[in-house]
Amino acid sequence: MTEETYPQVRITPARYLDPETTEHLLEKIYEVDGIHRLILNGPNLPATVPYGPAKGLQNENSYRRTIKVCGEDYELHVHVGDILIELESKAVIPKIRKACDGIFADKFPYGFAEGKFMRSNFTLSDYAKYGVVDDERILGMSDPKSKQRPIIIQGTK
Amino acid sequence: MAYEPQYGPGTSKVAQVRRNQMNPNVKLETLRNITDEDIVLILGHHAPGAAYGSAHPPLAEQGEPNCPIRKLVAPTEGAKAGDRVRYIQFADSMMNAPCQPYQRTYLEMYRFRGIDPGTLSGRQIVECRERDLEKYARQLLESELFDPATVGIRGATVHGHSLRLAENGMMFDAVQRCILDKDGVVKYVKDQVGVPLDRKVAVGKPMDSAWLKKNTPMFHSLVGTAFRSDKEYVAYVQRVHALRTKYGFMPIEE
Repeated sequence: MTEETYPQVRITPARYLDPETTEHLLEKIYEVDGIHRLILNGPNLPATVPYGPAKGLQNENSYRRTIKVCGEDYELHVHVGDILIELESKAVIPKIRKACDGIFADKFPYGFAEGKFMRSNFTLSDYAKYGVVDDERILGMSDPKSKQRPIIIQGTK
Repeated sequence: MAYEPQYGPGTSKVAQVRRNQMNPNVKLETLRNITDEDIVLILGHHAPGAAYGSAHPPLAEQGEPNCPIRKLVAPTEGAKAGDRVRYIQFADSMMNAPCQPYQRTYLEMYRFRGIDPGTLSGRQIVECRERDLEKYARQLLESELFDPATVGIRGATVHGHSLRLAENGMMFDAVQRCILDKDGVVKYVKDQVGVPLDRKVAVGKPMDSAWLKKNTPMFHSLVGTAFRSDKEYVAYVQRVHALRTKYGFMPIEE
């Protein structure tokens, strides 16, 4: 089970974030040491039209594109609404806040909450997707039904 | 004295907007102009300039039975021509969109003829004969009932009405049927079901937040007028609730 002592925070901007803003925010957050895991949450942007007479057609969407996260390419499939972060210690929280302030100060307000936002137990879908794994940090990192896997970014330490 | 409908209770601005939208004697303000061709493109039911499909021969040709009701009710233009039934569907953002699904159905029933509206929590569809639809769609799109950013014309994949807006103020749309172009005008790049259009269809500039707050028929305690601030409306809803609960037992007001 994931260490329960690791603090988690949730950043909730008042607006859904453009890919460019997401990129800037992640760059700022990346400069902070002591981040275990980070999840981008938001409504899905499908690759093809999912329903109706146009079902199956290519879905052109400017919010669905590849962003650079610390030099790594990441295919953004959601319109980012929440950012969940697991930290090594509570001492990191003010630095995350400062990074957010820098990005959102001239845009719109954002919510910042401490709590428990990531899953810590395996679901049946997790077992079907990953089997029994040693590193349980994978839990809740992506939708088990999705083909997209999390990316691992080398830390700065 | 002639009966005058009240349309709805309430002393707030929101309540007044609701009454104005429902009252067919109040003329809706025209805020933008959209060409016939553009409306046909967004609806996507037939190609611009193509003939209307028909469900039956025109009434004049097929011969009507001797029916007293048919003598009483004049057919609409679409019914007279035997048009197919087609639809337009809207999703209205909870962030002070200038209309909302129940309100749309109420006002359409007061203002339009020969329609079949369907109301859901996040979207509202109205079905009618095709040439009637284009006439009604024009009124719905050009008037104060439409805001290009917070109202979406969405035949399928409607999700977004209850979500936060994007950074540029547009309502979430998984299919991104419309975009806020560089000139500040919202343009449809796909028709209402998500089929790409050959050219962009402009539907005007988004209204500002002050206008939306003033012209929305929606209560919203965070971004608009709080429902509880309208005491008369609250009392009315409570009365309806109490009477409905007591019905079949003793629906007496104390």
